[in-house]
Amino acid sequence: MFQYIIRRLLIAIPVLLGVTIFNFFIINLAPGNPVDMFVNPNMSAADILAKKEALGLNDPLWEQYGRWMGSMLQGDFGYSFATYEPVLDNIAARIGPTLLLMGTALIIAYLIAIPVGILSATKQYSFIDYLTTTFSFFGISIPNFFLGLGAIYVFGIVFPIFPTGGMTTLGSSGGFVDTFMHLVLPAMVLGTAIAGSMVRYVRSSMLEVLGQDYLRTARAKGLREFFVNNKHALRNALIPIVTIIGLEIPLLIGGAVVTEQIFQWPGLGQLTIQSIGSRDYPMLMALNFIAAFTVLFSNLLTDLMYSVVDPRIKYN
Amino acid sequence: MKRKVQKALSMVTMSSLLFLAACNGATETTTKDKSKETGTNSDPNSMFIGLVNPPTGFNPINSGDVAAMFIQKYFQDTLLEMDGPLNFVPRLAESFETTDGQHYTIKIQPNANWSDGTPITADDVAFTINTIANPKSETTQGANISMLAGLEANGKLPEGQTELSSVKVVDEKTLELTTNVPVDPNYMKELFGLNILTLPKHILGDVPVEELAKHPFMQKPTVSSGAYTFAKYEKDQYVELSANKDYYQGAPKLEKLFIKIMPAPNLVAQLQTGELDFNVSKGIGKIAVQDYDTVKKLDNVTASVEPTIGFQTIYFNNNKFDKEIRKALAMAIDRSLLVDKLLKGYGEVVDGPYSSLSPFHDKSAGEIKYNPEEAKKLLEAAGYDFNQTLDLVVPIGNKVREQSAPIIAQSLEKIGVKTKITNYDFPTIMQKGKAGEFDLLLIGFTLTLDPDVSTVYATGAAYNFMSYSDPKMDELLLKGKQEADVEKRKVIYKEILTKIIDDVPALTLYSDHDFAGVNKRVQVGKPKTFGMHADIHQWSVSGAN
Repeated sequence: MFQYIIRRLLIAIPVLLGVTIFNFFIINLAPGNPVDMFVNPNMSAADILAKKEALGLNDPLWEQYGRWMGSMLQGDFGYSFATYEPVLDNIAARIGPTLLLMGTALIIAYLIAIPVGILSATKQYSFIDYLTTTFSFFGISIPNFFLGLGAIYVFGIVFPIFPTGGMTTLGSSGGFVDTFMHLVLPAMVLGTAIAGSMVRYVRSSMLEVLGQDYLRTARAKGLREFFVNNKHALRNALIPIVTIIGLEIPLLIGGAVVTEQIFQWPGLGQLTIQSIGSRDYPMLMALNFIAAFTVLFSNLLTDLMYSVVDPRIKYN
Repeated sequence: MKRKVQKALSMVTMSSLLFLAACNGATETTTKDKSKETGTNSDPNSMFIGLVNPPTGFNPINSGDVAAMFIQKYFQDTLLEMDGPLNFVPRLAESFETTDGQHYTIKIQPNANWSDGTPITADDVAFTINTIANPKSETTQGANISMLAGLEANGKLPEGQTELSSVKVVDEKTLELTTNVPVDPNYMKELFGLNILTLPKHILGDVPVEELAKHPFMQKPTVSSGAYTFAKYEKDQYVELSANKDYYQGAPKLEKLFIKIMPAPNLVAQLQTGELDFNVSKGIGKIAVQDYDTVKKLDNVTASVEPTIGFQTIYFNNNKFDKEIRKALAMAIDRSLLVDKLLKGYGEVVDGPYSSLSPFHDKSAGEIKYNPEEAKKLLEAAGYDFNQTLDLVVPIGNKVREQSAPIIAQSLEKIGVKTKITNYDFPTIMQKGKAGEFDLLLIGFTLTLDPDVSTVYATGAAYNFMSYSDPKMDELLLKGKQEADVEKRKVIYKEILTKIIDDVPALTLYSDHDFAGVNKRVQVGKPKTFGMHADIHQWSVSGAN
């Protein structure tokens, strides 16, 4: 097991290296360059040149990449081209809000999806089943921006219960309650959307297991229906669900671009979009690196989770 | 046993992610003071204004974006302010005088201090100019000092020098500047007086010029020369400013000023809930046109409409279309339709780069009239190939401009000219523009009130994507820039305007008005085209209501 983890981590190194090379050249292929964002009509040609020189944009690409890699290995992701702040400071300031929002949203999604999915599968073709499939269908189909704006309108304007955006009330000193109130709408919007697709996964994976012979055996030996469903069936249905959960962990870091924008949530999604818009190469490289790392890490985590939910799976 | 360990291990890693989230949330939410839990809109000591674009930083000499420059003016004073077209009023400079258009004497307000108590001196201003002129410094301000004597052709200090000979510190509060040739004092006052933000020499004087852009001061300014001091910037959320009690024009009435950042639709929602006192408008805090009626109907809000000097144009690729075809295309575009239907009347049709606010606006210079029949005839006569499809390239960002593209395409379709609209983000537009990879391109400008337009119309200029090149135009542009006499300049720029309308290298589509909602509790302070920052120390809101 321990060896397996080490092996997986070692494999991750060349993968990460490949990802950074690929990203670096793709980002540089995008039309335009960071200095274009500063070219307002009143800026002189000499100033533009000086800026390019200072940002190192006049050097050949492989040299720029080498420089980036060199400092990255020392833990230095460089300075943002747009704000001149250290890249890591910028990311650090946003990772907290993103984790808070996405973490809450995923928890909401699981809390809704798992029980509802099980219920819907065990009562297949009943009224409840049709109701949940219909609602999950809505959850998948309604775009987040629509749900978000709708929520702002209903709960922020018509019934002013929750603030319409931001993370704290300005002028106040914040506090747990204040942040919680700001968190409710965006987390609910995201959570219900994710739950929509989750419900379907849970339902179909439960249905598959419910048809298995060993469940009939369990019932035949007189187990109560509750235990049959929630212990024998659920345990086996969990494997595909864990895969889905694993796939969604990178979301925690990636953030939700649209929802973050609508609710002015200062997360990584917003930062990514801004960085693309301003061709902020160092920032994009760091964001991509973190994303790649999270994907690899969560894949490993998912594989390890398999052996927890299914003892038959062993890694050597 | 082994299984239990596995289980525990996986659980710990799994939950560590969520735990991280909780930790970070907690640091954001430490409570210091619970007295102000209630709504903010009744707080009589704070004002809340709304923006769409987040600022990139607060570097006085290196801010490329309009949002940053707008915000900086609350805590970094310019030497002058303009409270109406070319009407300059004192700011950090008590006086800004010249007798010959070449020698300028600037006197700094005698009681002006940095917010840490250090006097703001002529030395600070000289330090700022020398830093901008240094070839090694990263700056966006170069063009604003380019008129000064002693600079190389590229606007930088000669190799090996660190101080500009034309900048002379006379005494603690007096500075003398000399320009290369006599210039229109208004040109000097607008470019230099309204744009140069002073650097604190006592803080940044010892920082090597190459490292200045990355200095923490540029992100979190520790001293202020303006009515407010910088308190903090929560990324993409808001900038918090506090009153500078020792401000030389008197302490501000507000204790706090918040500049909030949000998408345009939220501006409307927050105006409605009273969470915003006004939206900034000005291209960085604009409400979508379709929301104008909603805002006008709000009980707690009054609408403020102001004409601007900004304008939108359609560039013709001059390498592909000669003058006759350009003229025909221009005549085929129904610009009044854009203003009446798209802008709902909140704008004007303009010919050339000067809106009706500009002292150089001149209707008698000529006019391009909408005339599709005539346009079609012209195209046929010029042998235009009606089978080709023109590439209409549109930058994303300005919604109204994006919406104008299909209307323009329809106008052209009426005379049989086929177009294909493609949207790109701004850096891509810059690349396509510079490379001439377009037939028609939409772009907008807010230039200066000074009539110089060489950045758009001079041969090879930074924004001359049309590849327009005319020796007569180049000569006129240079002449206009170097003429100090206002009346003579008017004659030159009328000639330039006539030539722009006649040659149609590009067609000005419209100049749109700024539209903003202002909460009724606001007593002083609102979005203005000119001099919005002139009275920021007097901004106030009424008490709880």
